[in-house]
This record gives sequence, C-alpha cells and structure tokens, in this order.
Amino acid sequence: MAAAALDNANPVILSASQLPTRHKRSAPRKGPDCRYSDLILSRPSYMSRPFLQDDDAQYQDDTAAAVAWSRFGSGAGGADDNLSAEAIDEQEIYDLISNITDPEHPVSLGQLSVINLPDIHITPSPALGVPSPNTIVQVTVELTPTVTHCSLATVLGLGVRVRLEQVLPPNYRVEVICKENSHSQDDQVNKQLSDKERVAAALENDSLKSVLDKMLESCIDN
Amino acid sequence: MASTQIVQLQSLKPDLHERAWVSIPHPSLPLIATAHGKNVTVFSLSTLSFHSALTDGHARSIRSVAWKPALPPHELCLISGSFDSSAGVWRWNKSSGEDDGDGLGQDMSRGPAGDETAKAGEWDYNLVLEGHDSEVKCCAFNPSGNYLATCSRDKSIWIWEDIASSESEDDWETIAVLNEHEGDVKAVAWCPDVPGRNSVGQRYYSVDVLASASYDNTARIWREDSDGEWVCVAVLQGHEGTVWGVEWEPKPRDNRFPRLMTFSADETIRVWTLEQGEDNADGDGSAMSQGLGGIPSTMRRSFREQWNCTAVLPKVHDKDVYSATWSAESGLIASTGSDGVIALYKEDEAAPSDPPAVSADKDSDGNASLSHNSSAAGGPQWQLLTTVPSAHGPYEINHITWCRRYDAGSTKRGEEEMLVTTGDDGLVQSWRIDVTSS
Repeated sequence: MAAAALDNANPVILSASQLPTRHKRSAPRKGPDCRYSDLILSRPSYMSRPFLQDDDAQYQDDTAAAVAWSRFGSGAGGADDNLSAEAIDEQEIYDLISNITDPEHPVSLGQLSVINLPDIHITPSPALGVPSPNTIVQVTVELTPTVTHCSLATVLGLGVRVRLEQVLPPNYRVEVICKENSHSQDDQVNKQLSDKERVAAALENDSLKSVLDKMLESCIDN
Repeated sequence: MASTQIVQLQSLKPDLHERAWVSIPHPSLPLIATAHGKNVTVFSLSTLSFHSALTDGHARSIRSVAWKPALPPHELCLISGSFDSSAGVWRWNKSSGEDDGDGLGQDMSRGPAGDETAKAGEWDYNLVLEGHDSEVKCCAFNPSGNYLATCSRDKSIWIWEDIASSESEDDWETIAVLNEHEGDVKAVAWCPDVPGRNSVGQRYYSVDVLASASYDNTARIWREDSDGEWVCVAVLQGHEGTVWGVEWEPKPRDNRFPRLMTFSADETIRVWTLEQGEDNADGDGSAMSQGLGGIPSTMRRSFREQWNCTAVLPKVHDKDVYSATWSAESGLIASTGSDGVIALYKEDEAAPSDPPAVSADKDSDGNASLSHNSSAAGGPQWQLLTTVPSAHGPYEINHITWCRRYDAGSTKRGEEEMLVTTGDDGLVQSWRIDVTSS
C-alpha cells in the first residue's frame, strides 16, 4: 500500500455550515439572543483566565472551553451549574470529533462524512440522565472511510479514539469501528482499534504521533 | 453456607498517577514490582510502600516485569519488557559500607525494620536483550530460572538462556525463536515445577513447558524435543477474540499435569486439560493417529499433545478480560478487566478427579476446539463466589495477582493470601478474602 499516494483524490466535501453542531459559530452574535449568554455561559469564578482578551471570538472559544471543562470535570462545576446536569449525548461526541482533520485532505472528518451523527451510539442512553461517575458508558463511533480500500482507516480510527479518550471522563469506554461493508478489512481494523495495548504502543510511536497531533490540532480551537 | 467477600485493604503508596500495567510479586521475598510508564516501582509488602525504583532504562513504556527465581537470598534480578522492543536485565546492587550484610534476605523475618536496610542499594541496568522487531509484551522465567521467554507484537517468542558463570555477570544467549503465532504474542507463562509436570511426555521432551497467548485468538503449548528443538505441541482453539493471557494451575491435585487457564477479549475464561493416557504415563502418543495436519514439517517426529477445553468459567465480565490469577493456596481463581469488575470463582470439589467431561471436537486441522454445547456436558464445574464492581472506580484494571501478605494487619505473615490489582488510575490496590460461615 503506497501511503504516499492519495487513496481518494476527489472526495465529496460538505461545507462546514451544513454539518450538525451545537457549537457556537465563531461569527460574533448580536442582538437579544445573546443577552443572557453572560449568565448562561458564565464560568466558575475559580477558573483563572490569565489570557483573557476582550476580543469577542476569543471569548467564545474560552466560553466553549469552560463549558466543556465544567461538563467533563465530573460534575465539579457545582450544583448551580445547570449545564453539568446534562449527560454527554451523541451531538456532543460529534462536536468533539467532527473537526478532526483528515490526514490526506485539509478538511474535517465531518465534512468528508467519515463521521456522521447517526453513527454515534451511547449506552446507556444519555436520555436516561447523567450516569454515576462509576457507571461504564460505552461510546461507539462507526466510521465510514472515504473509499473501501482506505489504508488510513486505522489512523482515522486511532485519531477518533485518542481524541475521545483525552476529553471524556474515565468511565467512558470508546469503541471505534468501521461501518459494516464500508471497508474491505473491517475486522482487522476494528480489532486493532479495540486493542488497548496496541493503541498505547502506537501513541509512543513518534511518526504516528505526529500524524495524530496534526489531525487533532484542528480540534483544540473548537 | 459460607459466604465469601472481597474486602478492600489499602493501596500501595505512593500512587503512581499514570497507567500501571502489571504488578508481579517476588517468588519468595515480600516485594512486588509494578510496571508504569518507562519505570518500574518496587513496593515492600511489609510496609505496603515504596522500596525502590528502576528508571532510565527504556525509551518507551515498560509493559511487563519478571523476577528471576531461585537466586541466593541476597540477590535480586528483574527483567523488564518494553514497548521499545527490548528487554532489560536489572540487578540489585547493595551499597557497600552497610554492615547489616543481609538486608533483603532478612527482610521477611525482620519485619518492617528490614525495609530500612533494603533501601541501602540501587538497581543497576546490566544488559539489554535485543532481537525483537517490535514491542515486547511479556517476559517470564522458567521455574529453575535458567530460561527466560519474551514475546512481542512481531509474532515471535524468544527463549534466552542465562549462560553466565556467576550471577554477578550477565551473559545471555538466544536458544530459540518460535514463529508460529499469526498475530501479536500477548503473554507467555512457564509450567510450574510440580510433580505432575513430569508425568507426561518425558520420553520425548525435556521438563520445561511454555504456554503462549496471542492476538490470533489461540494459545499454544511449546516443548523442547530430544534434539533440543523447541516445538509447538498443541494449538488451543476456542476463544473468539485476542487471548490476553495464560496462567498454569499452580498446584494440581492428584499429581496430574497442571491445567492451563486462558482469558480473552471475548470476555470468557477457559480452563484446558491435557489428555493423559490410562496409565498416566504418556497420553501424547494418542495424538499421532490424527495426522499432523497444520503442523509445519519442522515438527518431524514430534508428538502432539491433546489439550481439551474442560471448563468455561461463569460469565461475569462484559468487556475484555485482561487478567486472571489462580491461587496455589486455595485453588480460587480471580479475574478482572476493562469493566473494572473483580470476580472470584471456586471449583466444585468433585470436578478435578473426573476425567475431562468435555470431549474435544476436532476441526479440520486436528486441533482441539470447543463446540458451543459441550460446556453444558460437564455441568457447572466452577461457581462464582462474589464480585466487586468498580474496583478502581471508573478505571480499567489491567492486572490481578494473588500474593502473600506480610503487612502488620495480616494474621499469618507470609502465609495468608491477598489479591493485588493494578489499574489505569495508577493505583496498586490490595484486597483481602473473607469467608464467613452463616
């Protein structure tokens, strides 16, 4: 497999604005709909903000980070933080991984439809409320690699698994699989991605790690 | 009815604050070595706290450790198997000028005070064993301590012999490279030196028996034939996922050949039994008539051993079973894995003396496999005693082992057993088994 050649030179690319998201668009919002955002999105006072700027876009990013922080901080956001009372749902998982950049194309996995909202499954269902900190929650993400012989399916899957394991609480178990029939070597790819020891060793491989870092760079700002 | 409980004791200090893979107790001294990150931390089982650390030896994570057995009382030798494709040989260097003379050897009898002297020394990184092409996943010594087996993602198992004339120098030689697995070799384990080990196959093989577990869903049994060739004598098929590990029965009853336990990503734990002839002399001849299908021609005149899956333990885990341990003291099995549950199982009294209840189905290769209805034939041989959910909170548990208690809280120091679990949370946690009759 020649990794140097693009496996799919002309993928279908969706515009970012077509993708489902709960993220705030980075365009500054005006008018009455943001009147309460200071209240709704206020961060805990004990969070330091040494690099806070008045720049609105920067503020949005900071706010998103603060929201994510309080949500993933195992309820540390405090009783008066209503956001922490919501369970992590499929949309939230989607927003965490759809911005991962494809290693072959300068576009996101969401835009390439490698990751699709209906292919994200969470058990027990987030509709049942916030699971207790020790309840094992299974997050399954089905990938649809861009072509059937995509040699990078493993790398894509690894990126998704690593991203989710970095930000989800420790009771979340992440499973990344290729969508049935989408990839000619599903079983091998799936088995490799579910092997904790192989994933751990892969992350200590410098060249692979740098590919992953590049893919995940685009997630940090979101 | 007696009821059994697993009671949490204290965790070993300090917390390691990063994923810890495995904790291996020393065969005779009150020490346990934990692999985490690129380091190994050795804890004293007397004080349940830090004893010493092995650092700066490997470029990548250390996945496994093995204590060299059968050493003189004052010597310690530890092997580290690393993701950097090498294994390291470490020796404890007692600092000179200490007049106690025998700190470590006396540690057990002198109690906590002995640990003070134990700290008067350091670990020397003596030798790198190089040869594997990719991550070393496991390493293990045979009972007499002259053979070391290492296994790797490169699908091979290497057997090394310690040929140094004294323990103070290190000279190791590769005596075999075993290449038959079709995937990563996840674990290796040597058959313990129990009377039953010599009951089978002596005519054709030397005493040492090695078992391996693999990503190819099989476990294999390896022996050294009369030509000094290491050969695969059995392929254990039945698991439907990666076999994470193998463990030998530490104390077989009736001097039978030790059974083998395998545990897997398919969420099950299986027990395998060697088919022994009527006269108990050598059952391995019986496999000859089945032809040697699937066996490479290098096996020539070698004899196959017939291993049958004789039990599947009650299903508890709903994710990968990463580790299971079989007690020499009580015969109990404990298991754990990705679901963070500790489970404890007991074998029915009557079962071991019965002949293998499950007749093996032969697949086209003549290998033993287990059909789905066959586990029912033997009835429930193992019963689940108890479980502990969320034993490391929400974290995965990578390893569990029986080990002897030496701490102040134990009633019979050096005899009473406890469980030690090692998790992704960097905790090495000890547990007591309480049996109360009601």
